[in-house]
Amino acid sequence: MGNLKWQRVSPWALVYFVLHFAFRFVKDGIFNLLPIGIVFVTQVQDKLFWGQIAGSVAVVGLLVYSFAYYINFRYCISDDHEILLNKGVFKKERLTLNFLRVQNVNIAEPFYFKPLGLVNCIFDAAGSTSQEAVLPGVTVNYAEQMRERVLAYKQTQQPDATAPEADDLDASEPHQCLTLSNKEVAKFGLMSNMAILALAALAPFMNVVFEFLEKAVINRLESFYQQEVGMLVNAAALAVFSLFVFIVLIAVLLSVLMSLIRFYNYELYFHGGKFKRISGLLERHQLSVSLDKVQSMLIKQNLVARLLKRYTVQCLQATSGGFTAGAKSKQSLVMPVLTLEQVKQACQWVHPWINTEGFDFKTLNFKGVEKALLIKNLFLYAFLPSLIFAIFGYFNEVINPFYSALSFTLLSMLVYLSYKRYGYYFYQYKGRYYGVFRSGMIGVQYRVFELYKAQSTYSVSTYFMRKSGLKSMYIQLAAGTVSMPYLKADVANEIIDFTLFQAESDQRSWM
Amino acid sequence: MFENHQLDTLPKHHIIDFKPLADKALLYTQLSWLLFYVPVMAVLAGVCVFNDDFSNFAQTPLLIGLPIILLISLAYNVISVRLRGVAVRTHDIAYQKGVIWQQVTILPLSRIQHTEIHRGPLERRLGLASLRLYSAGGMSADLNISGLSHDDCKDIRQFIQKYTEDRQATESEDLVIEKVIDTGNEQSNG
Repeated sequence: MGNLKWQRVSPWALVYFVLHFAFRFVKDGIFNLLPIGIVFVTQVQDKLFWGQIAGSVAVVGLLVYSFAYYINFRYCISDDHEILLNKGVFKKERLTLNFLRVQNVNIAEPFYFKPLGLVNCIFDAAGSTSQEAVLPGVTVNYAEQMRERVLAYKQTQQPDATAPEADDLDASEPHQCLTLSNKEVAKFGLMSNMAILALAALAPFMNVVFEFLEKAVINRLESFYQQEVGMLVNAAALAVFSLFVFIVLIAVLLSVLMSLIRFYNYELYFHGGKFKRISGLLERHQLSVSLDKVQSMLIKQNLVARLLKRYTVQCLQATSGGFTAGAKSKQSLVMPVLTLEQVKQACQWVHPWINTEGFDFKTLNFKGVEKALLIKNLFLYAFLPSLIFAIFGYFNEVINPFYSALSFTLLSMLVYLSYKRYGYYFYQYKGRYYGVFRSGMIGVQYRVFELYKAQSTYSVSTYFMRKSGLKSMYIQLAAGTVSMPYLKADVANEIIDFTLFQAESDQRSWM
Repeated sequence: MFENHQLDTLPKHHIIDFKPLADKALLYTQLSWLLFYVPVMAVLAGVCVFNDDFSNFAQTPLLIGLPIILLISLAYNVISVRLRGVAVRTHDIAYQKGVIWQQVTILPLSRIQHTEIHRGPLERRLGLASLRLYSAGGMSADLNISGLSHDDCKDIRQFIQKYTEDRQATESEDLVIEKVIDTGNEQSNG
């Protein structure tokens, strides 16, 4: 142990630590401090004075903690090809990360490091964020050098991992790249559900917010409308409605802002079986993903995206948690807003077969699922709710029975759409087998994956399904589960058998 | 090697002969159900004794309902345990369960990340164990098979370990062969 050369990071890293812990404090601590906040607001007399004191104590505490963290933070690259980190103030921690376990080396350039030419070098360990090692405030050269070193070492130890790609790609092939204008990125804000997430974060405070709004805004708006258009419509309803519109607008703006922060000046390069993505407003985040690490590809288009004629493509990597963790985690490569042409191009990088035959994924000859699904869903999700609605209306005499007919029609349409969207397609290209699963309702999503990457499979059937010879099948991938409900039992069996055969006979590593 | 196979020669999973769980699995399921259920009934009975309002209101429905629920669940457990079965094939392990929603899960041995054998006090007493198999990407264990005999569990685990070791051995052998071929090529090229 004595010959290890421990190093400190540059003093500028202190800025990173301060911001990092401030962010952590706001993110993790704010809810715990809520009771104190309430006591403060309701009980304390001289709010300004005590508020200033509390604020300064927090700031001083943060600075002292960050400084202590900086002093204790040492790293070392051992001769055994390991990254060793010593960190922690109250609880000392030693992190050992072998080069072989590093999935990616990412380089992030926060805006405050830009003038200094410094970056954060992030070593990602197979899918888990708690095992991630960050070296803040190192020079770009050093970070690039580290990346080369790790990748070179991995290549010597696992030559088979990257070898199969070599024959597919011509060495003289130019770097392929895809850039997105910020106007396009802003569209992602409209498409994504980040706004709803932001509103969901506000949910615990909804009561307080509404009380406040009622006092401060709605009553005033109401009297305003009463004066202006009081004769025509219900002023109170109009006030609530305009407030609702206002909140939605705020949410959309927030969402656009968030997507700009995340994907500002988006650049994506593809070369030698590797993706490299650079994006971000406050922090230029560089993410590199090797093609064999992509477990499955998700192409999706929701309602707004349909109107805008754009798609979102995600290359999902292995996750330690369920599907949502895979989609939302920083690890997965997201191409936020692509036109159909760009989607085809991206598909061709990951799955070269998609365009070779002159077809695109939208016109693939998908096989649908059995009609029994439609009947079951019509009964469960359209007929039953409408019936309950109608009975409720009948006894209450508030709701017109016409509405239940309307709800039945609407729900049936949605059920039918979702039934029609289900589809599966299998394809063989150069001895490799791929599956494309389509699902959706108003929007649509395609999951494209190579069969041998399956982790496990299962099928589910109820008594009635067995009677009619039906089965639902699920294939679990390292990046979430793909499923197809209500297939003919022999088809489902065949798919499962074939997928298992691929997983068990293919000697390639799935990781 | 695998490119020219025909679909009808595939090993079929729906003809697997599932092996039932250990003999004491039913006893274990019933006992662990009762361990949960009896205290709940005791608490309800206690409330009935000490709280007259509650007993006036709930005594009759509870006296009728609780034994019925008990009987139904005991019968359900019998069917559920009968329907469960496990099968180890050369390359994968299959598990069947479920009364209303019948489910067959198949996990290739090469995808197993780690295995756990779990034994609670009751299981230790009955000589049983639960086997948990994890692969990548799952929220929890992909396969959680309770009611196996401890010996079966250990056998399966050993089988999995041997499979993984053999596979790794062949992989590293392939690697050595590849390297030899590579260096051979380089030499002949040079």
